[in-house]
Amino acid sequence: MFSKKSNESSENTSENTQSYETNSTEEQAVEIEQSPQYDVTSGRTNPIKPSIISEGFEFVGTITSQGVLNISGVIKGKVTAKSVLVDATGLVEGELFSDQVMVKGKVLGDINCDELNIGPLAEVDGSVSYDSVHIQRGGKIKGHFIKK
Amino acid sequence: MVEANQSGCLFVGEGVVLKGNFAVPDIASVSGVVEGELSAKQVIVESSGLIRGKVTAESVDIRGEVAENLTASKSLIIRSSGKVGGSVHYAEIEIEKGGTLHGDLHLI
Repeated sequence: MFSKKSNESSENTSENTQSYETNSTEEQAVEIEQSPQYDVTSGRTNPIKPSIISEGFEFVGTITSQGVLNISGVIKGKVTAKSVLVDATGLVEGELFSDQVMVKGKVLGDINCDELNIGPLAEVDGSVSYDSVHIQRGGKIKGHFIKK
Repeated sequence: MVEANQSGCLFVGEGVVLKGNFAVPDIASVSGVVEGELSAKQVIVESSGLIRGKVTAESVDIRGEVAENLTASKSLIIRSSGKVGGSVHYAEIEIEKGGTLHGDLHLI
């Protein structure tokens, strides 16, 4: 009985390791593909293809992503992602938490990020907490700025 | 930077500390320290410059530090070494990467 059981379990574990290995190689392949584009810090997160909220799309609720988020539509709610791009047609009404934020559209709400880039046609209204900021000439910004 | 026509201009050299209220018709270039109100057509704060007080100008270019209220009725540029604290009123703003802003921003 005992020996049989141990055999089964060892078989199981070997299967598991095999399937895990195939997974990890797939992940590595993705990482190699995307790392030059998104400047992935080593081993911190699994890079994911950008999630896109297209123009004309409205989302109400909370979005959480470990990867890149491109917003051309409307989001009302809380957004958390590694990197967020609010495109020229994009609008975020609510909180924005991210390492990198690029705003070309409109953000009405608080932004909490490390690196903030605001484009010339952008509009930001809310409290902004940042580590590094770049505002291009013409960006319209209202609110409270806090350097971390 | 502004040697061609110096009439109506104020230059505060490095190491100079100026206290009081100043109305400058043209350009105020600050490399030292100004404590008090400063109004000018154009204010340039060099990297060693510091203004502690209210600044009012059409255009403001900051490489140094402005510690209190700032109003720029035309354009405001905060360079990469620039630091601004307090309440800021502006019509057009540009902040270079590395520039620091700590306070309220208001659009005129």
